[in-house]
Amino acid sequence: MKWITARRRHPLAGYVVVILALALFGVGYAALAPTADQAQAQTLAADVPSPDDADVLKGRDIFNQTCASCHNYDGSGSFGDDDEEFTRGPDIRGAGAAAIDFQVSTGRMPSMDPDNQMPRKPMAMSEEELADLIAYYNESIRTGGADIPYDVPDTAPERADFEDEESYEDAVEEWQAEYEAYIGGAEDTDMGMRLYLANCAHCHGWSGGGGALTDGRWAPEIHDASAREIYEAMVTGPGAMPMFSDSVIQPEEKQELISYVKTLQAEPNAGGIFDLNRIGQVAEGLISWVVGLALIIACAIWITAKQRAHD
Amino acid sequence: MSKNTKAPKALRGVGNYIDDRFHLAKAGEKNLRKVFPNHWSFMLGEIALYSFIILLISGVFLTLWFKPSMAEVIYDGSYERLQGVPMSEAYASTLFIDFEVRGGFLVRQIHHWAALIFVAALVVHMLRVFFTGAFRKPREINWLIGVAIFAIAVVEGLFGYSLPDDLPSGMGVRVLQGVMLAIPLVGSYISMFLFGGEFPGEDIIPRLYMLHILALPALLLGLIVAHFMILWHQKHTQYPGTGRTEKTVVGTPMFPAFAVKAGGFFFFTFAVIALLSAFVQINPIHLFGPFTPTSITSGLQPDWYLGFMEGALRIFPNWFDFSIGGYPIIIGVLIPGLGIMGLLFGALAAWPFLEQWITGDKRVHNVADRPRNAPVRTGLGVAGIVFYGVLWMAGSNDILSETFSISLYTTTYILRTLLIVGPILGFIIAKRICLGLQRRDKETLEHGYESGIIQQLPSGEFIEVHKASSEETEHVLKSKPPVTSTALTEPEVDDKGVENPEARKGRGRFRRALAHWYTKDNVSLDGVRAHNGHHAHDSAEAEKEEVAH
Repeated sequence: MKWITARRRHPLAGYVVVILALALFGVGYAALAPTADQAQAQTLAADVPSPDDADVLKGRDIFNQTCASCHNYDGSGSFGDDDEEFTRGPDIRGAGAAAIDFQVSTGRMPSMDPDNQMPRKPMAMSEEELADLIAYYNESIRTGGADIPYDVPDTAPERADFEDEESYEDAVEEWQAEYEAYIGGAEDTDMGMRLYLANCAHCHGWSGGGGALTDGRWAPEIHDASAREIYEAMVTGPGAMPMFSDSVIQPEEKQELISYVKTLQAEPNAGGIFDLNRIGQVAEGLISWVVGLALIIACAIWITAKQRAHD
Repeated sequence: MSKNTKAPKALRGVGNYIDDRFHLAKAGEKNLRKVFPNHWSFMLGEIALYSFIILLISGVFLTLWFKPSMAEVIYDGSYERLQGVPMSEAYASTLFIDFEVRGGFLVRQIHHWAALIFVAALVVHMLRVFFTGAFRKPREINWLIGVAIFAIAVVEGLFGYSLPDDLPSGMGVRVLQGVMLAIPLVGSYISMFLFGGEFPGEDIIPRLYMLHILALPALLLGLIVAHFMILWHQKHTQYPGTGRTEKTVVGTPMFPAFAVKAGGFFFFTFAVIALLSAFVQINPIHLFGPFTPTSITSGLQPDWYLGFMEGALRIFPNWFDFSIGGYPIIIGVLIPGLGIMGLLFGALAAWPFLEQWITGDKRVHNVADRPRNAPVRTGLGVAGIVFYGVLWMAGSNDILSETFSISLYTTTYILRTLLIVGPILGFIIAKRICLGLQRRDKETLEHGYESGIIQQLPSGEFIEVHKASSEETEHVLKSKPPVTSTALTEPEVDDKGVENPEARKGRGRFRRALAHWYTKDNVSLDGVRAHNGHHAHDSAEAEKEEVAH
C-alpha cells in the first residue's frame, strides 16, 4: 500500500485510476454479459422430431394453455374488451403451419404484449412441444396457408438435446451437409443479390442488419434467423412484412436469395478486423472524428505544449 | 555554434552554385527564419494539408488500375463470391484493386479515411479561424478561399464516393440526380446533360472521374497553394500575450524547430490514417455489391460531410410543394438539397463582411480574439454548429432510431423541433458563458488568483489569500479589446444641428440596431486596475493599500 500511497499524487495517477476503472468495467461486463455463443445456444433448436411421431393430444394442451387466450380455442382470434376494432390475437386458421413454426421458433409467440412488435427471443417451448403443437394445429384448426418447408435447413442441433456426444456429432454432421447442400446449391449470386436488394434490403438493410420502419416498428436483423425461418417469413409475411409466396418468388429463387444473405453474413471482413458492425458510413464518420481526428489533434497539442508559467 | 563555422566545402560549392544563379540565399534566410506561433490550434489547418497530400499520393496509386467505364463485364476475378455476376468495369476494376493489386485494399482504405479526416480537419480549422476572429482584415480573402476549398472538397468527396459504382455509389448519385431534378425549369435538362441521357446511362462514371481526378483536385490544389501563400505573406495570427502585438509575431522559427515539428506531424497524421486503414474496414464495396437501378437499401448514408444535406432532405416537410399548370415545384427537395447548402456556404462567406459592416471596424487585426471576448460572434458560431449538428444527426435518423429503439417518426419530430430551438438556445447559452468568463477574467485581473491558502485574521475571520497573476496572464486579460461599433459613436446630428443622413435611412437604422445587439452586454474593463481588489492580502502592494486606507 505504501507504494501506492507514495504515488497517488503523481501527475499520471488520475489517468491510471480512470484506465483501471474502465478496464474493470470492460472486463467485468465481458465476463458477466451473455456471449454470442450462449445467446445462440438458447435460440438454437434441436434434434427435430419428425412430424409423424408428434402427439396431437399434447399439442392440444399446449395450444389451449399458451395460444387460446388470445387466438381463441378454435384459432379464430379474439377482440379486446374495450374496442371491437383491434384484435387481441388475429385469426390464425388460414395462417398455415409455416407461420406457427416461424412465430414460435423465433420466440415471438407466445407474446407477452400483443400491442407491440415482438423481438426475436429464445423459444418458449421445446422442439418436441412445438412439433406437437403444429400437429394439433394442422389436424384441428388449419384451413389454409403455407406448409413448413421441411427441405430447407433449420437451426443447427444443440448439444443439450442429445444424450451422448456421438449422436450429437452425427446430427451436427448431418445438419452441416444439409445446410451446405442448400446454400451451395444456389449458383446464381446475381439473381440472389438482385432479389435481396430489390425486395428485402430497403427494410432489413444491405447486410441484413435490420433497420427502422415507420410508426415505431422496425425490421429485425436476420443474422440469427435460420434458412428455414427466412423462408417461412417470406411465405407468411409476419408483422409489417409483405408476403412473398412461392408463385411470386419461386422456391429456387428463394434458395438463391437465402444463400446470398447467408453467404454475405459469413463473409470475412477483408478491410480490417473492426467491421463497425457493418453499419457503414455513420460509424465511419464517427470513427474518423472521435478516433482519427482526435488522435491527430492530441498529437498537435503534445508537440506544441510548453512549460506553463505557473499562475 | 560560433559564427565562423563553415559548411563543408562540397555543400558550400553546391550552395554557391545555386545562389549565383537564383539568388536564393536572401529569400531562403528570410523564409527559413519565419516565425510560427506555438499553439496546437494553429496546427489544425496542417492536418488538412497533410491529409490532402496523402489523398493526392494514394489517389495517383488508385488511378493506375481503376477503369472509369460503365461497360458491362462478367466478373471472373479472384473474389469468389461475385464470380459470374455482371457488373460495370468501374466496379470490377475496384475489386481488382482490392483483391489483386498488392497493397491495393490498404491504399483504397487510406484514400477513404484520409478523405474523411481531410474534410473534418477543414471544418475544425475553419471553426478555429471563425471563433478567434482570424478572418478579419487583412485575411478576408483567405477566408473566402477557405470557404471555397470546403465547398469543393465536399463535392470532390461525393464524386469520389460515386466512382466505384457499388451500391452506395449508385444511391448517392441517385440522390444527386433527384436534387437536380427539383430545380425548376432547367432541372431535367441539367440532369440529362450530366448523365448524357436518362439515369444512370453510360456516361456518368467517366465524367465524374474526370471531375474527381482532374478538374476538382486541380482547383483544390490551386486554392490551397493560394491559401498557403497568402498565409505566408500575411503571417499567422497569434493569441494575445506579452510581446505579441499587431506588428510582431512570437513563436518558433521555421527552421529548424518548426520544420521538424511539422515534418513529424505529417508522419503522425499519416500514421493515424494508415492504422485506421489497416484495422478498421471502410466502405467495403466488395460486400455491398454492384449497383443496379433496382437496388435499394436502408441504413445507408453519404460520407459524413454530406450528412447535413441528407438530414435536411430527411426531415424537411413536404408542406410547401405546389404545382404551376401541372408542373410541380418540389420545395421539399429544393430547399434542403440546395438551399441549406447555399445557406451554409453563403453565411460563411458573408460573415466577415457582415461583421465589418456592423462594427465598422476597418483596422488590421493580427492578434486573435479570445472567443469569450466576442460573445455575439461566438454565440452565432455555436448556433451554427448546433444547426449543422442537428441536420447531421437527422442524416442518420434511421440508424439512431434502430440503435436506440426510438420510433423513426419521433426522431423526425424531435429533430425538427431541435433544428429551430437548438440554435437559439445554443446562442443564448454560449453568449452567457462568454459573459461569465469575461466577468471571471475581470475578477482575476482585479484580485489575482485564489491561492488555496486559508488565513485566519486576528478578528477571527477566515479569508482566502489571493495571489497576483503572472505578468503573462495579466497581459492577456488586459488586452481584451472593447467591443464597439462606429455605428453607435456616429452622432445623430452634426455640429450644425443637421440630422445625420445615414442614421435616418432604414439601412442606417438597421445597422444601428444590429450594432447595438452586437455590442451590448459586454463586461467593460474601464477603470479596472490590476490587483487593486479588496482580497489581495498577500502582496506588498495590497499592504500598502491597506496602510493608505
